[in-house]
Amino acid sequence: MAVLALGLAYPGFLLLSLAMDRHHRELLGGAPPRPRRLALRLTGAALLGLSTLPCFALWGWSIGPVAWCGVLTVAALGLVALLAFAPRAAVLLAPLLPVLGLSAWIGLE
Amino acid sequence: MKQGFRQCMAWLHTWAGLIPGWILFAVFLTGTAAYYRGETTAWMRPELRTALPAPDAATLAVQELQRIAPDGPWFIGLPTDSDPLIRVFWRSREQRRFRDGVIDPVSGRLAEAGETRGGEFFYRFHFELHMPPIWGRWVVGACAMAMLVAILSGVITHRRIFADFFTFRPGKAAGRSWLDAHNALAVLALPYHLMITYTGLVTLMFMYMPWGIQVAYQGNSQAYFADTLGIPPPVRPAGQAAPLTDIAPLVAEALRRWPEAGVRRISVQSPGDANARISLGRGDGPELPIKRQELVFSGTTGELRAATGNEAPAVQTAGAMYRLHFARFESHLLRFLFFLSGLAGTAMVGTGLVLWAAKRVPKRAGQGAARRGFGLRLVETLNLGTVFGLPVAMLGFFWADRLLPRVMEARSDWEIRIFFGLWLLAYLHAALRPGRRGWAEQAGFAALLGLGLPLLTALTTRYHLGVTLPAGDWLMAGMDLGFLGFGLAFALAARKLWRESRRAAAAAPLGRLRAEGA
Repeated sequence: MAVLALGLAYPGFLLLSLAMDRHHRELLGGAPPRPRRLALRLTGAALLGLSTLPCFALWGWSIGPVAWCGVLTVAALGLVALLAFAPRAAVLLAPLLPVLGLSAWIGLE
Repeated sequence: MKQGFRQCMAWLHTWAGLIPGWILFAVFLTGTAAYYRGETTAWMRPELRTALPAPDAATLAVQELQRIAPDGPWFIGLPTDSDPLIRVFWRSREQRRFRDGVIDPVSGRLAEAGETRGGEFFYRFHFELHMPPIWGRWVVGACAMAMLVAILSGVITHRRIFADFFTFRPGKAAGRSWLDAHNALAVLALPYHLMITYTGLVTLMFMYMPWGIQVAYQGNSQAYFADTLGIPPPVRPAGQAAPLTDIAPLVAEALRRWPEAGVRRISVQSPGDANARISLGRGDGPELPIKRQELVFSGTTGELRAATGNEAPAVQTAGAMYRLHFARFESHLLRFLFFLSGLAGTAMVGTGLVLWAAKRVPKRAGQGAARRGFGLRLVETLNLGTVFGLPVAMLGFFWADRLLPRVMEARSDWEIRIFFGLWLLAYLHAALRPGRRGWAEQAGFAALLGLGLPLLTALTTRYHLGVTLPAGDWLMAGMDLGFLGFGLAFALAARKLWRESRRAAAAAPLGRLRAEGA
């Protein structure tokens, strides 16, 4: 389930970065039109919010928030490194991670 | 105030960051290593690891302590998953000072071979700097306070926190990409940096700010701790001999009360005396705050005398801060997240130091050395000797442990001497070989040390990766894989730096080689 937390936080951050001109231009080309920018921001934020759930489920209400901060940090630092050195992999990883996380979770149940 | 607020803060950030920067780097890196201090010690003495149930381990420790220090007092650390050694501390009547050791689980005797400070060395270094404890703690406290100032002023100085949230441009001009890296490492792990610096100060708050206790308790800090933590006053021996009760049932009783948290520490006062007392300390549970709870038993009858502990909100708050700082979590993943964040903090300090120098290097290549003032040269030397020299010394500490004879006089002192010797050499090397070439050489040396450690483990112990990986011995395998990872990272850094130094050398006209620092 820890992978699932990362699998929600990482695409969340990727969408948030895509809502910015600089990264949208680098990854997809051109500046995002207004409605798309808004959609990217909302989905990104929603995914970050959702990533709290696996953390709470795994570590409880007391330690869960601490773990969530750690997951966010690792997801964001990983994204920044990938954006700089392997931008294509940065995009590819976004759908891959949640699938991996979900299957690991269901496999455990 | 002539300048703007932001410029003011930028000035503050620069100097509050630079001046304690080298100490902060060392504190961050050794502190990060201390997250695995139990594992570090166990990696150095793998044959002493044990998975004995707590009551049996306690019995073993008590039997040996009765032999070597019959009068006590004793402290016993029971083996856990991440610290699988039976640790004992005692004070004998002849020697006034405390001594410590590890019980060999097979022979039941104090282990003689392979004496080491292990992970404790990094742990203590990160708040005492191997100085006399009081001095070291004050120095580290002052640096941590400066760190807090640097973090807050940095947040104010950084104009584009959100606009540059994901920005890192490695190819850009040197100053720019260092600034990007410094910003990203600082912003993305900001909750961690703030938390670890603040809670670090809190762990030593009674030393830094004793005035509250002095006023409210007229300086009687023992009474204060008795109130807040419920620690009972020390016992006076009755002077009458009486055999110590069997400890195993007491530990079993504690485990019944604390099924999740378990027993972490045992303290025995005046063993063999009629007034003997045994206290069992609770381990860490699933809730965030560390709870200082103890079961206090009579040492002769084994009767439960008291169950101490205090659940007042202030005590819980302090407990939560301690837990966050020590990262004493059962979950390996969570501790790993802290470890990664700690590395990010280390790198943040390191990039900040390098950035200071990179900004001040003379722009025009030709006018190098003469124009490099003493200050810049000094900072560059300290930077290299700290940022790469400390990892070299730390990896050298592990090498020393594997290479020194298992049985020798003052073995643990020699490990520490080798650590500081290597570190000193790194500073010397940095002074003699300025510029990228020096950086490349130290990175290369660190890479050799890191990549060589798993090999050395294979040559000197039975616990090499070929054995530990198939057996699922993740403690030994994880440490060795970690060394490989660091070795690889240093190798990549060395390659990049080497190429850049070659390029710089080729670009500069022959006579100006020294000027470029190449």
